Amino acid sequence: MIEIKHLYKSYGKQLVLDDINLSIQKGVITGLLGPNGAGKTTLVSVLIGILRRDRGDIVIDGFNLDRSLSEIQTICSIVPQNLAIYPMLSAYENLEYFGGLQGLKGQALQARIDYCTEVASLQSFLSKRVHKFSGGMKRRLNLAIGLLNNPRLLYLDEPTVGVDTQSRNYILEMIKKINREEGTTIIYTSHYMQEIEQVSDMIAIIDEGHLILKGPKAEILKQDFTVSIRVCELNNALLDRFKDIKAARVQDDCIQLTRDEDFHDNLIEIFSVLKSHAVEVIDFDSRDKSLETLFLKLTRKSLRDA
Amino acid sequence: MTKIFYILKKEFLVMGRDVHSLAVLFIMPVAFILIMSLAMRDLFETHGVNQIKILVVNQDKSDQSGAFIGMLEKLGTFSLHHMDDEIDFDVIRHKMFQDDFKFALVVEKGFSLAADGDASNKSGRQMILLVKPSVNRQTYTILKNTFTANLAKARIAQLIKGQEELIDSAGIDIDQMMQPADSLIETRYVSKGKLKFKVPTSVQQSVPAWLVFSMFFVVIPLSNTFIAERNYGTLMRLQSMNISTGFLLAGKLLPFFIVNLIQVVLMILVGVFLVPLLGGDALTMGDSYGGLLLITTAVSFCSISFALLVASVAKTTEHATTIGGVFNIIFGALGGIMIPKFVMPDFMQTLSVLSPMSWGLEGFLDIFLRNGNVLDVMKESLLLLLIGLVMFSATAFIIRKKLSL
Repeated sequence: MIEIKHLYKSYGKQLVLDDINLSIQKGVITGLLGPNGAGKTTLVSVLIGILRRDRGDIVIDGFNLDRSLSEIQTICSIVPQNLAIYPMLSAYENLEYFGGLQGLKGQALQARIDYCTEVASLQSFLSKRVHKFSGGMKRRLNLAIGLLNNPRLLYLDEPTVGVDTQSRNYILEMIKKINREEGTTIIYTSHYMQEIEQVSDMIAIIDEGHLILKGPKAEILKQDFTVSIRVCELNNALLDRFKDIKAARVQDDCIQLTRDEDFHDNLIEIFSVLKSHAVEVIDFDSRDKSLETLFLKLTRKSLRDA
Repeated sequence: MTKIFYILKKEFLVMGRDVHSLAVLFIMPVAFILIMSLAMRDLFETHGVNQIKILVVNQDKSDQSGAFIGMLEKLGTFSLHHMDDEIDFDVIRHKMFQDDFKFALVVEKGFSLAADGDASNKSGRQMILLVKPSVNRQTYTILKNTFTANLAKARIAQLIKGQEELIDSAGIDIDQMMQPADSLIETRYVSKGKLKFKVPTSVQQSVPAWLVFSMFFVVIPLSNTFIAERNYGTLMRLQSMNISTGFLLAGKLLPFFIVNLIQVVLMILVGVFLVPLLGGDALTMGDSYGGLLLITTAVSFCSISFALLVASVAKTTEHATTIGGVFNIIFGALGGIMIPKFVMPDFMQTLSVLSPMSWGLEGFLDIFLRNGNVLDVMKESLLLLLIGLVMFSATAFIIRKKLSL
C-alpha cells in the first residue's frame, strides 16, 4: 500500500526525517510510535501531501506522490491531532460540510453520514452543537469526519489525546472495527505505547527523525522474550552445566533464559538438570518485554523524558 | 457549485451563531448612523431645513417690534417660541436649559423709539441676545448677522414710511426694494451628475461613512474563524482533501461579500426609514445603481482582503482583533468616517488619501450626495480593487508558505 524510500525532510537546518524507508501492506494497522517531536506528524503530513519533502520516493496504492497527488488525496484521509471541527456547528452540520467539500451530495452523502455516525456512536447527538460535546465525543466526531470519503488509507494522528480511558478504549475498538469491516489500511501515530500494542499489527518506532525499528508487532515483542526460573540453591556443579547454554544467564538463585532458535531445547535441558539434582523451583516467570522496555533499550530514554 | 454551497452554508451558520460578530457587523453601524445623524444635524444646519429654536421675549410690544419679529418668522430659518414679556432673565435662563434653547432674544423696551430714530433713546441698545456657551462661533455669527440685516431692513421700512410718493417719483420700486434679501440670491448645489442636486444633510454623511466603516469590520469574524481553522487543523484537513489555497481564500471572499451586500442594503434602509422616525432627515439615494454596485464591490473586496491579510499574519484571534480593530479606527479617523473631511484642515484632508476608507466614502458620497454614476466612482473603485488585489496576493503567498513549511 505504501512504499517510502530514502525520505528526507527538514525545517530550515533541522533535519526532522532522516532517510526513512518503510513498506506498509494493504489492510494493516501500523502503529507509528515515538516521543513528541520525533517526526510522526511530519511523516504523516508528507504522506498526505500537505508538506513538501526534501527528497525521497513515495508511492501510495500504486500512485506516485509527485505525479498523482489528487488521486492519492481522494483515497486517503487524515484525522489530525487537533480537533479539526467547528464547535459552533452541530455534528451533522460538520459532517455535511466536510462531506460536501469532498464532492459527496444527496443520498451518497447521507449514506456516508449515517455510516460514520453509526461507527462513532453519535446518532443521538447529530443535532447537538459540538461545543457542548465531551472531549471523547469530539474525538469520535473528528474520527467520523475522517471516514466520510471511505478512505482506503487512513492516517490517525494521536486520535486519543486528552480523552478518558473509557473513550480511549471505545476509539481503539472503533479503529479495529473500521480496519476489520472496511479493510482500511491505517497508520496510527501515538506516544502511548499501550495503545500501539493494543491496536497495531505492525509497529514502527521513530525517534529524532530516524526509523529505529519496524516489523510485525508479534515478532518485535518476542525479540526479548525471557523466562526467569528462581530456585532454592545453585551449586557450582549446576553452574558449570548451565555455562554451556549460551542463552542462559545465572544471577544469584535465578536462571534467565532468552529466546533464541534453541529456546525449547534449552528450556527442557535446564529443567532436566534441575530435576536430576533435585533442585526445588520456587518461581517461574515468563512474559513478553513491554514496548516501553523495548523503546528504552533502543533509545536509552523513556518516552516521557523524550 | 456544490462545494460553494456548503462553504456558504457553513460560513453563514458559524457567523449567525456568533452574537458578537453580528453585533459588530450590523448593530454597531446602525447605532453609529442613528447617533451621528442626529448628533451632527446642527453641523449641516446651514444647508438643511432644520430650524434654529429661539426663545423670544418682546418687552417693547410695539408695531415696530412686532414687525421685526414677524420678519424673522417669515425667514423660515428660525422657530420662535414666545414667552411672557414680564419675566426676568433668571426665568429665561432656566427655560433655555430646561427646553434646550441655544438662543433667547429679548426685544427691550425702547426698540420702537430706536427704530423711529427717536433722539430720546440714548443707550442705542435695542435687543439682548442670550447665547449658550456650547454654540459654535459660526452659528452665532450667522444668527447675529441675520438679526442685524433684518433690523436694518426694519429701520429702512420705518424711514420710508410717509415718503412713498417721493420715492416713487424717483423711480424706485418700494416693493422690490423691500423684498427679503434671501430671495435675491439663488443657491445652487454642485453635483457630479447632471442637473439634479441635493441638500447635504447629516444622514447623507453618516450612512456612507458608517457603512464603509462596518464593511471593514468583517476583519473581526473573518480573522477569528480563519485563525481558528488554521490553529485547530481544519485548514490542514481541507488541504488534505485536495482543496487548493485559492479555493480556500475564495471560500472566504464570497460569503463575506454577501455579508457586505446585506450591510449596504440594511444601512440604506436605516437611513431612508429609521433615521426620519427619530427626527432626522431621510437618506436620499442617487440614480446610479450600477455605480453603487461597483463601489460596493470594490470596498468589499478591499475590506475582505485586508481581513484575510490580518488573519494570515496574526498568530491568535486576540492578536487579529487588536490589529484589525486598531487599523480600522485609524483608517476611520483618517478617512473622514468619524469627522467629516470638510471639517478637517487641509493637511489632514491630504493625509486622508492614505486610508482606503476615504476612497470608499468618497465613492459612496459620489452616489448618494453628488448624484454620480459609474464613471464618477471608477477612480475610487479601481484604487480599492488594486489595493485589495495586492493584499489578497500577499495573503495567498503567506498562507501557502505557512501551510507548506
